Amino acid sequence: MLLFRSEEHVEQSGKAKGALMTPEQMWRLADTWYRDRDDPAWRRRSAEEAEEVFAQIGLTGEFWKLS
Amino acid sequence: MSILVRVRIAVLERTIASGQVPTAGEIAAELEMPVAMVQEAYARLGESHVFVGEPGDPSRLRMANPFSAVPTAFKVTARGGLYYGNCVWDALGIVALLGGEGVVETSCPDCSEPLQLSVSDGKLLESEGVVHFGVPARHWWDDIVFT
Repeated sequence: MLLFRSEEHVEQSGKAKGALMTPEQMWRLADTWYRDRDDPAWRRRSAEEAEEVFAQIGLTGEFWKLS
Repeated sequence: MSILVRVRIAVLERTIASGQVPTAGEIAAELEMPVAMVQEAYARLGESHVFVGEPGDPSRLRMANPFSAVPTAFKVTARGGLYYGNCVWDALGIVALLGGEGVVETSCPDCSEPLQLSVSDGKLLESEGVVHFGVPARHWWDDIVFT
């Protein structure tokens, strides 16, 4: 997961099309994903739970499917 | 707490405190456990995709997610420390883990221009650029270093 200056720069780089998101979406995903990582009660999310987190920030479709 | 949880928490706490992902020997000394037991925990945490082991070295981790054990293009300053994330997701994850206050510095892979994301009080302040995911979610762990 890389941060590019703009969508044009992604295209110019020749990277596989993949998926794009805004830094705001990335922050929300990172915050949800990692904020409690040092809690002893933390456990890895199931595929369904992870997909739910993706959907909450607008990441839906085949690219974001884990199950 | 189970051994796996104790090792996981000790690794994260030590990384947060020092900026360096600890070896199995360091964690063994801290938790007063045999090194082999910590190596086994490192292996199991790697198998369950919690951390990523260093290939060929059971005493080291490549990633103590969200932290990278080696310098990367994703530098994080937070809570007075310097850290490296494995990608922009993990770099922002370090900021989240450290309380939602910090700065991620990276550069555009196309033009090398420096880019920065700042978070304060749990909110993203500056928002330049666009995040690119090259690998579909279900293939992320096929080759996590590449991902």
